[in-house]
Amino acid sequence: MASKLGMMSLFEPDGTVVPVTVVGFHEGNTVTQVKTSATDGYDAVQVGYRRVREKKLTKPETCHLQKSGIIPLRHLQEFRLTNVEGFEPNQMLVFDEIFKEGDFVDVAGTTIGKGFQGGIKRHNFKRGQMTHGSKSHRALGSIGAGTTPGRVYKGKKMPGRMGGTRTKIRKLRIVRVDKELNVVLINGALLGKPGNLLRITPAKIVGVNIPKN
Amino acid sequence: MATSSHLLPQALHMIPRIPNLSSKSLGVSWFLPRASSVNSRISVSRVSLNHPGAIESRKRRVIIAKAEESNEGETEADLEDVAETVEDTGVEEAKTPWKPRTKLGDVMGILNKKAIEVSESVRPVPEIRTGDIVEIKLEVPENRRRLSIYKGIVMSRQNAGIHTTIRIRRIIAGIGVEIVFPIYSPNIKEIKVVSHRKVRRARLYYLRDKLPRLSTFK
Repeated sequence: MASKLGMMSLFEPDGTVVPVTVVGFHEGNTVTQVKTSATDGYDAVQVGYRRVREKKLTKPETCHLQKSGIIPLRHLQEFRLTNVEGFEPNQMLVFDEIFKEGDFVDVAGTTIGKGFQGGIKRHNFKRGQMTHGSKSHRALGSIGAGTTPGRVYKGKKMPGRMGGTRTKIRKLRIVRVDKELNVVLINGALLGKPGNLLRITPAKIVGVNIPKN
Repeated sequence: MATSSHLLPQALHMIPRIPNLSSKSLGVSWFLPRASSVNSRISVSRVSLNHPGAIESRKRRVIIAKAEESNEGETEADLEDVAETVEDTGVEEAKTPWKPRTKLGDVMGILNKKAIEVSESVRPVPEIRTGDIVEIKLEVPENRRRLSIYKGIVMSRQNAGIHTTIRIRRIIAGIGVEIVFPIYSPNIKEIKVVSHRKVRRARLYYLRDKLPRLSTFK
């Protein structure tokens, strides 16, 4: 788990410009709980991120962390794994050991909220004619057929709230890992504004990571 | 705490808080920061030396004795921790000097500055301002035999850290041409300021509507 800090460009030695997002780490990334199939029915590692003041957490949250003697952490997320050996509570996870330069990662996070948006922005609908006597410019147009079926299908794309949801961007390359500044440079743009919480995992590529079928 | 004497007098008032519930092996003492900015979370974690993450969390400790840090108004809350942290800071500060943790808000500026320094060490960039008439020698990776030369007046300079760009305007073969160059690019082999024209603007977009004579440079 990490935070988005901003974007910049890097110049490759041959002159090509690589747009990168700078991703930084708050204090955290500690294993808070290890779930096994024996105790919980599935294998996962719960990781905490971002240290906060004690009074910002509720008592249940605080005691859950103090059970293993961990600093107060704000965000807890689980990472499901096939094999949970080697993880203990209060173990710091260092980014360098898990990811190297040139690795592909999936990054998930909350997108920028856009509010209530119409069909054109939300679902890439095409607008009607602006002149030539047209009375429909940015409206939805037709939303269904006639007497059969006589209703509008569920899931019909219509205006609504856009953004502010969790999305994952796949197969982003790690360009550089900077150890002194504790920062990672990832190729491309990431979700949200600077300060946004990100969840970085190794890229799921069928054939490489995931067994076919 | 040995370092509390260095703190400003305003920092020394007692704040009642939840008694420390943590075990002896990992005790945490909390500082309530004055300025409640996101990045100025200051905390000290006492970690036993066998702890696997000891090295990481020790690195995160902020030196309270430093004069510049005390300006942020840290407050030492509990006297219980005073006695315990005395031996800790005494022992550890004698071993290694701590680098203060870089704030996440400064990281972008530091990265850009570092990248510019690297580029400047290879090829220094003169100071270019709007209105300078410059000559740029550009290497195109495809045909490495000869460097292309671009001459013209600097119409604008967009400052963006390592991707600071300048826009050069010139009339070539009767047609006005504007080219944007990132001045810290490794492809640019030389930038030379030939002369300077007095202008009273930061962006010379008006040249597009003026006579071609004003944008011609031999």
